[in-house]
Amino acid sequence: MNGVAASLGAAFVLAGVGGVAGLAVPARWRSAAVGAVTAAVGVAGAVSGVAAVSGTGWQVRLPGLLPLAGVTLAVDPLAGWFLLLIGGVAAVVGVYTIGYAGTSGLGPAARGSSAVLPVFVAAMLLVPAAGSVSTFLLAWELMAMASLLLVLSEHRHSRAVRSAALWYAAMTQAGFVVVLLGLAWLAAAVGGESFAAIRAGAAGLSPVVSGGVFLLCVAGFASKAGAVPLHPWLPRAHAEAPSHVSALMSAAMVKLGVYGIVRLGFDLLGGGPRWWWLLLGALGAVSALYGILQAAVAADLKRLLAFSTSENVGLILLGLAAAGVWAEAGQPAVAGVALAAALLHAANHAGFKTLLFCGAGSVLRATGTRDLDRMGGLSRRMPATTALFTVGVLGAAALPLGNGFISEWLLLQSLLHRDPAGGTVLTIAAPVAVAVVALTAGVGVVTYVKALGVGFLARPRGEGAAAAVESPPSMLAGMGLAAAVCAGLAVVPVVLAPALDRVVTGLRAGPGPLGGSSATLRLAGIASTISPLWIAVGVVGLAVGCAAAGRALGRARRRVPAWDCGDGPLTARMEYTATAFAEPLQRVFDDVLAPEQAVDVTQSAESAYLVRAVEYRRRLPDRVEARLYRPLITAVDAIGRAARALATGSVHRYLAYMLAALVAVLLAGVVR
Amino acid sequence: MTDQLLNLACGLFLLTAVGVLWRRELAALITLLTVQGVALAGIAVLLAVDQRHAETAGVALAVGILKIAVLPYLLRRILARVPEARETAPLVNVATSLLAAAALTLLAYAAARPLIDLAPSPTAGAAPVGIAVMLIGFFLAATRRRAISQIVGVLLIDNGIAAVAFLATGGVPLLVELGVSADLLLAVLVLQVLTTRLHAAFGGTDLDDLRELHD
Repeated sequence: MNGVAASLGAAFVLAGVGGVAGLAVPARWRSAAVGAVTAAVGVAGAVSGVAAVSGTGWQVRLPGLLPLAGVTLAVDPLAGWFLLLIGGVAAVVGVYTIGYAGTSGLGPAARGSSAVLPVFVAAMLLVPAAGSVSTFLLAWELMAMASLLLVLSEHRHSRAVRSAALWYAAMTQAGFVVVLLGLAWLAAAVGGESFAAIRAGAAGLSPVVSGGVFLLCVAGFASKAGAVPLHPWLPRAHAEAPSHVSALMSAAMVKLGVYGIVRLGFDLLGGGPRWWWLLLGALGAVSALYGILQAAVAADLKRLLAFSTSENVGLILLGLAAAGVWAEAGQPAVAGVALAAALLHAANHAGFKTLLFCGAGSVLRATGTRDLDRMGGLSRRMPATTALFTVGVLGAAALPLGNGFISEWLLLQSLLHRDPAGGTVLTIAAPVAVAVVALTAGVGVVTYVKALGVGFLARPRGEGAAAAVESPPSMLAGMGLAAAVCAGLAVVPVVLAPALDRVVTGLRAGPGPLGGSSATLRLAGIASTISPLWIAVGVVGLAVGCAAAGRALGRARRRVPAWDCGDGPLTARMEYTATAFAEPLQRVFDDVLAPEQAVDVTQSAESAYLVRAVEYRRRLPDRVEARLYRPLITAVDAIGRAARALATGSVHRYLAYMLAALVAVLLAGVVR
Repeated sequence: MTDQLLNLACGLFLLTAVGVLWRRELAALITLLTVQGVALAGIAVLLAVDQRHAETAGVALAVGILKIAVLPYLLRRILARVPEARETAPLVNVATSLLAAAALTLLAYAAARPLIDLAPSPTAGAAPVGIAVMLIGFFLAATRRRAISQIVGVLLIDNGIAAVAFLATGGVPLLVELGVSADLLLAVLVLQVLTTRLHAAFGGTDLDDLRELHD
């Protein structure tokens, strides 16, 4: 039996077992059972992904499973890459869930949430494995429904959860509808709904149809991926969902939006005209910049991580856009590198974002707050969590020794090493894209320095942080696994080179970009190499060497109190807060962020020169949401109110509506 | 021979529907509905004879009992309790109603053409009659004030659907027809209760009185 089939089948069976276990197992053992089964589902999914990226293809058609269309599954290297990614994330999150959900039987450990968790993972595995439009849409909707239920896990806990779920439900359904329209249009135009038939018929499509399908589907997929301006659900849902769900959604589910764009743009439609990719690139650039800016000024840790997801998705989309443009401009070697950069960044982001969301969950569980301004001092109280979070921060900040660095470097290479003979538009677009990546990376460093420095170092600024204790071993084990994967991706990404080569050549986007890499990543067609292993050895060696030299040559260490201007002992109130840390950046990007600030100064009763209290309030509303979505919501609301006039309470009127609708449908049939 | 009888039954089926629009006495409406039930059962019997199919005969029997005996009986019982004999002021007057019925019948024939093209046969060719009766039933329910007229409208819709099912597919499985019939019986029983209550509460059965319940 085929390896992909066996492991994927095992994953689905296990997910069924997990669903039943979530319902049947008593609260005391429920989280352990569900977490273990979810981890097993993830491992099975990852194994099928490994089999698929190492060249084992598999497809099957099960006509009896669903009426009319049946179920078609087809796994190729591209699907395998995403199966591996989702499986890996689920395996880590499963282990983490055991300790995180706990034995209370409430919130994330409640019967419903526990039962849905493995089903959600299975639905995510089904999306890349789908081999026809109907199967894909079914899996997509199953995934959306399951994730919505999981977002609602803590709906008794706070009202914000319901509002977040409502936003998510509305946006995910709208996204589903446009994807449905696009794919149905595509299937109707080529006269077949299996991906194989679409691939065969795509060459004969008119540019209007393929362009329309691309626009519709990209809108839906980009909204699932959380690209700005289709992102408002993301900071809400990621912040309000339980942290293991946030990790699954941000690290795995969001990537399936990316998968949809790759599958449609490069595989099913086989590439497209330049304007598609320039549009996608613009979307990516806006997402990257706006996402990281909002993340930099966010004081809520999970909101920060959520906006950082938008940013990373933006970078991935930028890579895809570069790949599409270079492929269209006849530079397949660079296109291959860009595609590889995008796919590798998807994997890297999955790695470090799983770790960071799990870390945030750990902190939230210990301190009871997501507000960075009320944290601090956690490095003493939660040393293991802090160390693991640091690994994630290193990756997310895209600094050397972190895994994000490699893929962003690849992305920059693909943007810099292009053939100059590409036309005026590309001559302008490529340097702009480079500038966007550079600015994003810079602000990203500030963001994660803030997250780690303000959140974990110095003294606690809140009671919750002061009373924090280290998380249980299963949570640390899950985070440890994620950290190990991140470190592996950072130091020896070459192990993924053959898999990436197979994915890229499978998409006919270019030759294998990383062909023949050993310890050094050697880019095919570009005179450029990088050796992460030697960078790591060098950096670690230098640091250790400096420390040793300092010990050996310097004077003996002394312990002295920190300088306090002679104003008594230092207190936590004197520390840098997250708001204060981001304030300079907020000033620089004042026009983009448009913060609402208020400073109230209360004078002393005796003299106007003596200040008794200063109150500072700042709100950073999401401008895209305020400008784009609020008017839309108001308009829909107004239409809804106006439509009440249609319902007068008269039975005759209602019957007349039905008759009119029936006659209209029949007439439409006759006229056609 | 069977074809001509079938056409006769279909003609009667459509004519009774138009008659329901034309007459205002509620008692006459019920009589016309009974005749229509006879026509529908006749269609089913003719199909059963044509195909020598026992199950279709069973369906014909069930339809006959329900439409000729049970439903008219229930309607007459309602009429006995609610002392209103005539549909006094329909929302659309009778002459216009008849014109509308003609237009709806034309629409039904035009819309059913692709359906007939699927399997051209004398029985399928008569299927538009069912669609026309369904549309007329809808029109009746939407334009008449008295509750009984509206029940009759709903029954016309159901008769139309049943006729299309018979004519287009050449017989409905017994189980499906039983389910539909049980549903219909329940609907009429509910409407009976509603009508009686309406009469008790408002002194009439004009359904627009219910508008007072709207917030």
